[in-house]
Amino acid sequence: MIRRAGSALVSLGLLAIAPLIALAQFGAGYGPALVTEPPPREFANSEEHYAWLLGQANGGTTHTLTSVPRWEGLWDTAGNTMMDAFVDAPGFSGQVREGVLTSAYEAAYKERWRQQTELGEVQYDRLTHCEPAGYPRFLLEPYTHEFINLPDQSWQINDFASGVRRIYIGGEHVNLIGTHSWYGDTIGFWDGDRLITHTVDLYPSDFTRWAPMTSNQFESVEIWELKQYPDGIERLEVQVTFYDSFAFEAPVHAVYAFKRAATLEDAGYRVTHWECETTNNAVMDEDGSTTYRLPGEEGFVDPRGFTLFPELPGQSFDPIYNISLDSE
Amino acid sequence: MVFRSAVVVSCVASVLLTAGIATAHHSFTEFDRETEIIAEVTVVRWEFNNPHSWLRTRIANDDGTTTLWSFEGSGPTNLIERGITGATFEPGDALTLMYCPMRDGRNGGHMGWVMLEDGTIVNPSDGGCNGNDANITRWKEWLDQGFRSNKEAEAASTR
Repeated sequence: MIRRAGSALVSLGLLAIAPLIALAQFGAGYGPALVTEPPPREFANSEEHYAWLLGQANGGTTHTLTSVPRWEGLWDTAGNTMMDAFVDAPGFSGQVREGVLTSAYEAAYKERWRQQTELGEVQYDRLTHCEPAGYPRFLLEPYTHEFINLPDQSWQINDFASGVRRIYIGGEHVNLIGTHSWYGDTIGFWDGDRLITHTVDLYPSDFTRWAPMTSNQFESVEIWELKQYPDGIERLEVQVTFYDSFAFEAPVHAVYAFKRAATLEDAGYRVTHWECETTNNAVMDEDGSTTYRLPGEEGFVDPRGFTLFPELPGQSFDPIYNISLDSE
Repeated sequence: MVFRSAVVVSCVASVLLTAGIATAHHSFTEFDRETEIIAEVTVVRWEFNNPHSWLRTRIANDDGTTTLWSFEGSGPTNLIERGITGATFEPGDALTLMYCPMRDGRNGGHMGWVMLEDGTIVNPSDGGCNGNDANITRWKEWLDQGFRSNKEAEAASTR
């Protein structure tokens, strides 16, 4: 039997030369204000941008297992400036910025933003029916992240249904599957302690529920760097330029950040695999809003129910208590 | 009602909720976040599952029967950061909780805060109901005055 934790319960932007200081950081910020740093010149596309950075780094730094920057451990999202590119200050009471998105994407986003501001909530989220977060949403999902760097690959993992990005260091883009995917294909190189990446071949997705949609031509160039600030503040920051010929009038720049998930690590949290299909009862209703199936209702998925073989002993997903919701 | 002094709450959750938004895997439109109700419940099962947790409970009816009620909370990683684990609520526990009801009137809602049997208060909420420190402090006063819903308390304050 699990022992009760009891008393252990404790409180426990558009292209510009000058850096853009976030006017209103959406999401939980940590440390100094995040500053978006656009590249010093314009590029025709993400490929040109990435190639320029590679040239600036003289082909990149070759790391070994002992020299490659180590970012292991658990990380929480720690703010971003993404929304500042799309919505004027002040934050969630601002208006959708005109001319950033193409007309079709701007119109679609204005409806989404109307729901957010007038109804207090976008009515439905594609993740509800268990779609992966995908990219770029990977960068802000609140479930914990892990960043594993090896000399020839980096693995970036989001606890949200175990989304994984694999960054092939020094590689070229490869697409053997003949279509795009949720996390696309990512290559990268090291410039000293900075990891530069290029991501292509992505499914259409979104930045998040209350942010714009992205198309199947969405691509990115990222610069990842672990930064130290006064008072012991450590932040993993990613300066990113998003390209999307269907959705954007011009490239969009933002910075995202992560902080160490010290509380989770102190609690001994270990990431385990989970998916959504066997636990989720949030669904879209007839009006396109979110609703929930409750126990006893048609379609209810019992998260602590049984496998396809309930007649066999030991097939419950609730091995400790094994309590049916029918019990008094 | 006597509100015990051992109020222990999260310092983590407030920011997103204060902004009126939460990065969850679904929208919270089904919950009436303007209505906050107190319930005395007995735990049937604590589903400490991703992407969201659910507390299955029974609530006593006037005729002596009980009815199954379901209350949603945040995901495990957020909850662990607030000191809430898969063992925080156990079958049979008698709890007092504040929830925001489902708009369609079914037997469910989103948890705001939960008072354990020892008087400790924890915040398992996500974007569907306000369980932050400020709201717990407000509710402390309302519980002392015997109020069972925010509407009741707010109506009394305007008289």
